[in-house]
Amino acid sequence: MSELRMMATTGMLGYGYTEEAFRRGMSLKPDFIAADGGSMDPGPYYLGEGVPFVSRQAIKRDLGLMLEAGIENDIPVLIGSAGGGGSDPQVALVREVAEEIAREKGLKFRMAVIHAEQPKEYLKKKRAEGLIRPLGPIAELTDENIDETHRVVGMMGVEPFQKALEDGAQVVIAGRATDASIYSAIPLMRGYDPGLVWHLAKIIECAGQVTTPRPGQDCVMGTLGDDYFLVEPGHPDKRCTRMRIAAHTLYENPSPYHLVEPDGTLVTTDSAYEQLDPRVVKVTGSRFEPSNSYTVKLEGVRKTGFRTVFIAGVRDPVLISVIDEFIASCHERVANEARLLGIPHDSYRLNIRVYGKDATMGPREPVRQTQAHEIGILVDTLADDEDTSKAIMAKARYSLLHTDFPGRKCISGNLAIPFSPSDMPVGMTYGFNVWHTMELDDPLEPFPIEMIEV
Amino acid sequence: MTRLVDLAQVLRSKNAGALLCTLDMMFEDEATYRRVRDSGMITPQRIAGLYGVSDNEVAVIPYDVAYAIKVTIPRLLPSGDPGDTDVYGAQQHAPLLDIEIPD
Repeated sequence: MSELRMMATTGMLGYGYTEEAFRRGMSLKPDFIAADGGSMDPGPYYLGEGVPFVSRQAIKRDLGLMLEAGIENDIPVLIGSAGGGGSDPQVALVREVAEEIAREKGLKFRMAVIHAEQPKEYLKKKRAEGLIRPLGPIAELTDENIDETHRVVGMMGVEPFQKALEDGAQVVIAGRATDASIYSAIPLMRGYDPGLVWHLAKIIECAGQVTTPRPGQDCVMGTLGDDYFLVEPGHPDKRCTRMRIAAHTLYENPSPYHLVEPDGTLVTTDSAYEQLDPRVVKVTGSRFEPSNSYTVKLEGVRKTGFRTVFIAGVRDPVLISVIDEFIASCHERVANEARLLGIPHDSYRLNIRVYGKDATMGPREPVRQTQAHEIGILVDTLADDEDTSKAIMAKARYSLLHTDFPGRKCISGNLAIPFSPSDMPVGMTYGFNVWHTMELDDPLEPFPIEMIEV
Repeated sequence: MTRLVDLAQVLRSKNAGALLCTLDMMFEDEATYRRVRDSGMITPQRIAGLYGVSDNEVAVIPYDVAYAIKVTIPRLLPSGDPGDTDVYGAQQHAPLLDIEIPD
């Protein structure tokens, strides 16, 4: 089989890449170009709200170069987990950007838009059939959990990409997808070894992460042969090192040896990594073990309330020395004040953390006594409505500012408050309540494909 | 005795999904890697003690080909839940720095 070449332009659509690396990559005549558009790293909010965690301008810049070059060279352009979480509004945004680019640059192509959002009734049916299971330390999913979810996406494998391409799409804007599926779909269609395909896909999905020197995202090239694959940077001045490539399966995975995909597991125990020249690494020996069932991951969020945030500094050494007791007394005072406002204790959450002490690790912080000469107080309140969230914050701010403590001399105020206004409402928040797997007979079933002539 | 921070090239933490935190230790050369791997100091019991979790919640996986040791522990709360302190899980590695590795 002749070699198949792919280019990962960036580890995250909107994080950027250099035009120099992109042009050099295109000169190597890739068979397709792709980018991952999503991650759950930034937490549940973006999926909940249906918005990207990069700017629209950045998506347009990264996608613009890809679409132009892809259409000009008549090769597929694939985007997975579009818009960050791959939910319907996030996919719609990337679709709209793609259409805008096409209009502005006079490009014409067939585009598939693949949906990944999962209706509650569908999830309940699958749950009732016993096909939904916890993925890690989380409880079994119940109908009540499903009812309280705000948005759930399924993580597609290669099959929806392949179906879209078979139906003639040149550009694919997919909802939530496994990072590696974006890069595995085409090579698997063309019959390359699945162990090598999945391993290469897993390495290049983070693009510039595997190159050195590292600053910034950038394009990475992957080349598949019969019994090997090669990884090299797009940028002429960057390198891929054997260690960096080998180490990549450690990143963000529970195990570097076993990487689970919908239809099986990539096993790297016998993978060998060879530095072919100063820029290129060759990998052999990776295996793929097919599983008996086809499972996709589900990610879902529920609303966790309106948040208001407040930040202030404490420089008073007496207060720093009694900060834990002081905060406990403020909690008590806020509870009393809230009661007077008719706000029951169980209808809000007040969280006061101390930077300079244990705000980063919480109860896991091994250093219990702070040596800091100043500390930062970060307060956040959560409630079902914004008014309650702000009302509790106003009481918390007042309590922290003016509550007495033993040895207090700073009786005009305990805090240095840097801003006016001091209380910052940040809107609705979300929490993950679905982190499960769903077994499927048909890998296409929960991922409807829309075909559009752009 | 040498502190782990003085032996490792990389000591990092990061989410492995929304529910797990993964801690990676990477070493410059094979000798240093083997010294740490075989020291008996990087065990589920020791890590559990440092992070206040139980032994059976900790996975320790040596990864010879990259001179690395991977440790996975549960997060205190799902990423971004009310009360979470570190949404990306990128600053949970500090307790590893002071682990003493015998000479």
